[in-house]
Amino acid sequence: MTSTNTVGPSDEVGAYPNGSTELGLNQWTVLSYAYALLCVVGLGYFLFDSPIQVSDGFTNLTKAANGTLGSLVYSEFFQRGYLRPLLWGHTRVLFDLSSGHYFEWFRGWHVAQVALLSVLFVRLVRPRTLLAAAVVPLGLSVLVGMHTFAGAIREAFPINTFMTIVLCSFAAADLALGQPRWWRDVAAALLLVFAALTVESGLLVAVVGVAAYLAGAKGVSRYGVAAQVVLITGYFLLRFVLQIGAPGLEERSSGFGFSSLEPDELVARFGSNPTPFHAYNVLCSILSLLFSEPRGGTFVVTSALVRGELPPAGVVNVVSSVLATMMIVLFVWRRRDDWRVRRFDRADQLVIVFGAVALANAAISYGYSKDVILSPAGALFAVALTVSARHALEWIGGAPRLRVATSVALLAVLSAGWGVRSVSAHMWLRAGAATHAEWAYIDSWLERQGQVLSDPFAIDLKRRLQNDAVSRHPMRPALRDDAVWWFYEP
Amino acid sequence: MNREPPNRALAVLAITAPSLLATVAVLTFLALDLAGRTPLSHGPVRNIAEAAFLAQGSEVLRLFRAREDPMRAWPVRPEITSSAVMRVTALEAAVWSRRAQVIELFDRQAAIVDDETRRHLLCLAHDLRVQEVIDYLSQRATADCTPGEALEIVLARSREAEAGGASR
Repeated sequence: MTSTNTVGPSDEVGAYPNGSTELGLNQWTVLSYAYALLCVVGLGYFLFDSPIQVSDGFTNLTKAANGTLGSLVYSEFFQRGYLRPLLWGHTRVLFDLSSGHYFEWFRGWHVAQVALLSVLFVRLVRPRTLLAAAVVPLGLSVLVGMHTFAGAIREAFPINTFMTIVLCSFAAADLALGQPRWWRDVAAALLLVFAALTVESGLLVAVVGVAAYLAGAKGVSRYGVAAQVVLITGYFLLRFVLQIGAPGLEERSSGFGFSSLEPDELVARFGSNPTPFHAYNVLCSILSLLFSEPRGGTFVVTSALVRGELPPAGVVNVVSSVLATMMIVLFVWRRRDDWRVRRFDRADQLVIVFGAVALANAAISYGYSKDVILSPAGALFAVALTVSARHALEWIGGAPRLRVATSVALLAVLSAGWGVRSVSAHMWLRAGAATHAEWAYIDSWLERQGQVLSDPFAIDLKRRLQNDAVSRHPMRPALRDDAVWWFYEP
Repeated sequence: MNREPPNRALAVLAITAPSLLATVAVLTFLALDLAGRTPLSHGPVRNIAEAAFLAQGSEVLRLFRAREDPMRAWPVRPEITSSAVMRVTALEAAVWSRRAQVIELFDRQAAIVDDETRRHLLCLAHDLRVQEVIDYLSQRATADCTPGEALEIVLARSREAEAGGASR
């Protein structure tokens, strides 16, 4: 099979187009990076307000601090439920580096991850013209405002795994879409090993590489892509040898229809034949990515509408997602002739990578529906929308007046909707004062968990983290419910 | 820079302006927050009683550790309490928060110093019909409450404070 990587309408022609330098920088690129930095400042401010959470935060740190780094990572290869040794390694490395300044290092690392993600986003969409730079604010609003991204910023684990995998997916796309270099093959392989051994959804890194290659991207060579396939095979073999299974129905509740089913209800309903439930989850994941409905397997907005309610945030989510999906579909439709003859430009490749990751991400969500599991595909949705919107702007200049008027109105609604979602994401972070409260009530929480801290290290760690959350970084004023209720989702 | 056709310029404005405005809104919020004038909020809590009223456990703990007295009657802003209550102890405010965990937090800090205080809180919880708090306090106290009496103590204190404020 051959693929031709040609220059399409959205790509610039020439060695250094539009006054860009060898590094690919021109005034529009610099402006886009500057804007992304402003967004990082905004999001970083809210992120740095949240202390490390108690559940899966404090408890994970007490575990990560045990033994040596090597023994910790090694022991994680023999867990029955999950294969995530490098998540623990990552946590331990940062723990050791922090020298007791846990809040600063772990929360600072979360902010640094957001900064890196923003840089990669701008690198991927490559804004080198006015039109390309004009869609960057929309793209960043989608990235931050996408419901699948919420867990990547709201969950204040020591290391936010979801954010790590979103970053790895972007980095994989960046490697794949660059100039061919031998080191990209090596970097892509290392990235895949790191991501896959961090959390199961890290396997999507390979999907990015393979999809980009099939769409004509040559940053990673065919040998590099073959290595990725070998590594994936090795990963599944490893899971088989170590007898690591997949989560069963009895492990957690999951949305179904208009409500949520508890594990025992899931077992009663689908225990003998889980295939329909798995198919439901895959389908719901795709719908959720494209239309923001259902959420976590539950049709929340539809349910509210059936009850005669009109939840503002839910409606904004659905309308903005529908318009965004329409824009991507329109892009695909307008590029169909080139796609038929396998002529792909960078924008095409990014949209194809999004499509492949969306399908793969939905497939690995078969066990249960959860928004944040879809975070890699959700982040690539933002990339796909950005390049599609740029294409729409290029096309709109020569369109008839009525069509232009309609398009402008729809673009304004689209951008406004995502603007609201982006602001909502920030407000939700502020509303997450619950993380501070967790530390006030940690003793009650430990009692309910049946845990008694006897290890002096754990007692000291609890004291330090509680002091961080309560006194050193106290919660800022809570938002009034009556002022922000319309941000809240149903 | 090339001049864009008017159609396209309009489209660029439509797609860029709302998202830019959202970022400006976030950065404005951030600037005001840093300046101590948090929009869409009541501002920082002024004392341990306000923190308890709003069930802000971490603020309760912080102010308790800063030695604010939970037994003292503190002034609370009417926009926070939304009622005739203007002067309460932090323990009474915890009952008003309707969350047993706030009361429990005080209990863990040994802030409920005697049986009399515990009985008063239990009666107040009865007056306010806060079952969650009644259940918690009933574990270590029984009370023969006169309906409305505990609530009246708090309201009288508030009226007194208001009259004092008015006369000044």
